[in-house]
Amino acid sequence: MKPIMLHGHERSITQIKYNREGDLIYSCAKDSQPNVWYSLNGERLGTFDGHNGAVWCIDVDWNTTKVLTGAADNTCKLWDAQTGQCVSTLETKTAVRSCGFSFSANYIMLTTDKTMGHPCEIFIFDVRDGGQLLSGDPLQKVSIPISDSKITSAIWAGLDENILTGHENGELRQYEMKTGDMLNTSKGHNKQINDIQPSKDGMFFITASKDFTAKLFDMETLEPLKTYKTERPVNSASISPLFDHVVLGGGQEAMSVTTTSTRIGKFDARFFHEIFEEEYGSVKGHFGPINSLSFHPDGKSYSSGGEDGYVRVHYFDQTYLDFRFEY
Amino acid sequence: MRIASKMAAGTEGKRSRKSESQNEDEDEMEMEEEPDFSDPDDFVDDVTDEELLGDLLKKKPKATDGIDNVIVVDNIPEVGPERLEKLKNVVKKLYSKFGKVVNDFYPMDGDKTKGYMFLEFSSPLHAQEAVKMTNGYKLDKQHTFAVNLFSDFERFKNIPETWEEPEIKPYEDKGNLRGWLLNKDCYDQFSVIYDAGEKTAIFQNSQEPTKVEERARWTETYVRWSPQGTYLATFHQKGIALWGGEKFVQMARFSHPGVQLIDFSPCERYLVTFSPLTDNREDPQAIIIWDVRTGQKKRGFHCESQTTWPIFKWSPDGLYFARMNPDAISVYETPSFGLLDKKSLKITSIKDFSWSPTDNMIAYWVPEESNTPARVTLIEIPSRKELCVRNLFNVADAKMHWQKSGDHLCVKVDRYSKAKKMEEKDQLKYSGIYFNFELFRIREKQIPVDKVETKEQVLAFAWEPVNNKFAFIHGENPRIGVSFYAIQPKGKVEHLKTFDKRVANHLFWSPNGQFIVLAGLRSMNGVLEFIDTQDMTVMAQTEHFMATDVEWDPTGRYVTSAVSWWGHKVDNAFWIWNFQGNLVAKQALERFCQLMWRPRPPSLLTEKQIKEIKRNFKTWAQKFEIEDTMRKMTASKEMIEKRQALMSDFSKLKEEKQKLFEEQKELRLKLRGGVDTDAFDSHMDMEEETIEFLVKVEETIEE
Repeated sequence: MKPIMLHGHERSITQIKYNREGDLIYSCAKDSQPNVWYSLNGERLGTFDGHNGAVWCIDVDWNTTKVLTGAADNTCKLWDAQTGQCVSTLETKTAVRSCGFSFSANYIMLTTDKTMGHPCEIFIFDVRDGGQLLSGDPLQKVSIPISDSKITSAIWAGLDENILTGHENGELRQYEMKTGDMLNTSKGHNKQINDIQPSKDGMFFITASKDFTAKLFDMETLEPLKTYKTERPVNSASISPLFDHVVLGGGQEAMSVTTTSTRIGKFDARFFHEIFEEEYGSVKGHFGPINSLSFHPDGKSYSSGGEDGYVRVHYFDQTYLDFRFEY
Repeated sequence: MRIASKMAAGTEGKRSRKSESQNEDEDEMEMEEEPDFSDPDDFVDDVTDEELLGDLLKKKPKATDGIDNVIVVDNIPEVGPERLEKLKNVVKKLYSKFGKVVNDFYPMDGDKTKGYMFLEFSSPLHAQEAVKMTNGYKLDKQHTFAVNLFSDFERFKNIPETWEEPEIKPYEDKGNLRGWLLNKDCYDQFSVIYDAGEKTAIFQNSQEPTKVEERARWTETYVRWSPQGTYLATFHQKGIALWGGEKFVQMARFSHPGVQLIDFSPCERYLVTFSPLTDNREDPQAIIIWDVRTGQKKRGFHCESQTTWPIFKWSPDGLYFARMNPDAISVYETPSFGLLDKKSLKITSIKDFSWSPTDNMIAYWVPEESNTPARVTLIEIPSRKELCVRNLFNVADAKMHWQKSGDHLCVKVDRYSKAKKMEEKDQLKYSGIYFNFELFRIREKQIPVDKVETKEQVLAFAWEPVNNKFAFIHGENPRIGVSFYAIQPKGKVEHLKTFDKRVANHLFWSPNGQFIVLAGLRSMNGVLEFIDTQDMTVMAQTEHFMATDVEWDPTGRYVTSAVSWWGHKVDNAFWIWNFQGNLVAKQALERFCQLMWRPRPPSLLTEKQIKEIKRNFKTWAQKFEIEDTMRKMTASKEMIEKRQALMSDFSKLKEEKQKLFEEQKELRLKLRGGVDTDAFDSHMDMEEETIEFLVKVEETIEE
């Protein structure tokens, strides 16, 4: 089926996310205006106005009441999902690289970049405590020494307890939210981890790395289980909630794209069997690398956002839904 | 023993220095008595100098050092002191042209010279040159010089008086060198270099390409197969190694430091190696011809001229080999490795020559000169009989293409309408260039010649290896066409078809003819087109993006296209297609460099047997198809078994996790205020509503 093209961003997409019900798609880009769309028809529902720089990350809580965005203007903003009004602004010293609601949405976490002599840091706020948001005084703060590798992607792990971080050197770490202690670490990849996404039940997660691979890990032990190999940097990967499938997106690095043709760039979304690690299909369309992609919570469609500024919503054909691996 | 005491003194010094920086408490230590290092009175030194400073003694100058510069001149006149000065002048005049004479010495017998003398040059090269040029020099009627290097005396002195018969090497069974041909399924093999040259592997082209052998650093640059596939040659700093047999054991080694290029004779008996490093005036070593089986060096040659490799071209049966010299072709014969009939063929201003691939026949051409036209000549070897001469006018350049079956020769001639002398250089500038193909029918009486002309630039030309067709690419990008012609038996060249607007710069015919691959390699992004020339249909139009190489397997069943790391740094891989252009396998290899199919020796079947097989094609095809489906079934069975194993492993893990997930259910409910979000509750069963708006009400009153 023909994909729905969402063209509301002026610059490259940085992250896209579905809400839990899957009726809305949240997208942010290097322009300062995150968008929200109806996933069914691609109609734009609204924008979140207020940032002054590239928005690196976006998240929505489980009952779609609040939206969180982090940007290069050194702020992280909490929005009312219904009205699109900014509820609260958290100031940081450097750009916010990743952010997210905990399972209960009682806590939010955000990580910052290591720049201008400031270290990379993880902040955790209790959303229920208005004072914390107002003063910007966090519940918990973890500072990663400047000499250490910075965080490039982070998510909540184990419901409300832990933070899972992916680092520039390919390392994975788990921090305990309450104490700020590092619980576990694992050398997941050889190069920067661009994206981490949990499975539907939160028992596994998939990482996308610049080292041309995506890997499936056990959330509890950080033990690598499966590896999906490609010939290009992988920017994002997602696990299907419906089948044993994963989808990978990436391509030639954005900085060298102008000097190569689309064919050499390999900008297609690539589908692998989660367990057999075999590639069985790909979807072309973007004319730049895919920066973020996500399965719909029902597994019957997926969306991808690219360096080309488009978000493409793909509904799977019946043949995909009927397709079974022989084993 | 002096050394020992010195060492003791050294340690003592160190210790005292150390104690200075330490505590005073250690003074007691310092007060201890020194051990006595001096020798007892009855000591006998039993250590030889050799043992003590053997490495220094080795560097000690020897009496023979530097004698390479010295020559001995015998048979000089015996003269008294009154004429000695004159003799010295004569000798000096003669020898100073070869280099600086550092020293001379005339041994005297009383007041007469002894009839020989010594000369020292500044360099051994000069000495060698002097020996070469003046040995046998006639000073006058009585005196003919006998000149030798001084070091030659040493060398010849050491030659044993009695001749020893060389030992016969015991016969070594190297196994079946053609074992790979016995493969039941006729799978072909190919060599692959990857990991930027670090690794070399031999693959078998079975269902999925499978590795037969892999070695790290097997070669230092690249590899070559011998023409019939028996040997694999690897390149090393020190020379060439040949490998063969079932397990690719080393068959032979040829020591030639700095070797860069090699060439086998078509019969695989001889190997020609070239190295730019080791040439020597005395003993030519730039090009060496070896006997492959015995490992013996057959003959060395100098390499003076800069020409394209192979410098020596072999006759198809390996009996003769020839090289082009200015104004001559030198044909050598085996096994004597001497010039054929002791003289070269004189051909003034010859430009190029080549052997027929099947007969002992040489074709060469010479350019136009003043009033004589350009000429293409066919001669027979060893009789040197001219078989055919073709005169051509207005020739700017020519190129010869033999058909692999030896039936036809095409000479592509670049011709001009006008030639202008360039002012500065002694070169001609041609304008109004057009092209024609002179087509020689070798097998027919008196070798008739046909002509095909084209106005467009010819980019590539290729004969069908068997039968009678040829193809060429013409035109200029982007209007490139590919034309096919056939030579009919009664001397008619028929135009078969022209494909217009093609993306192609290379032609690859199947080794069995009929099928051809048009390829747009490198700058043309790897476009591939498979054509059946029987009815001129395009079987497949496809591409292997950025492909740098295309090669047919020796049987004409498969084609490989490859992106080599030498040409392109990303997506290095080789793909295997069948002859119809269906992709069979894709193999990506890290920094893949080169793929080469292992050639097969010519078929042992007679013409009749081949015909017989062709007639029973249908029954054979049936048999093979059954085999193929059987094989596919077992292959897919293997894969399914593998998948099942993976699946059952993972299912176990998933079950465990599912249990954990269920245990956490209460916690999840608590965290989300009692709302169960485990199941996906879709709000997607929306119905489309049709909403009507009243836009405008109009009322018209009709009168």
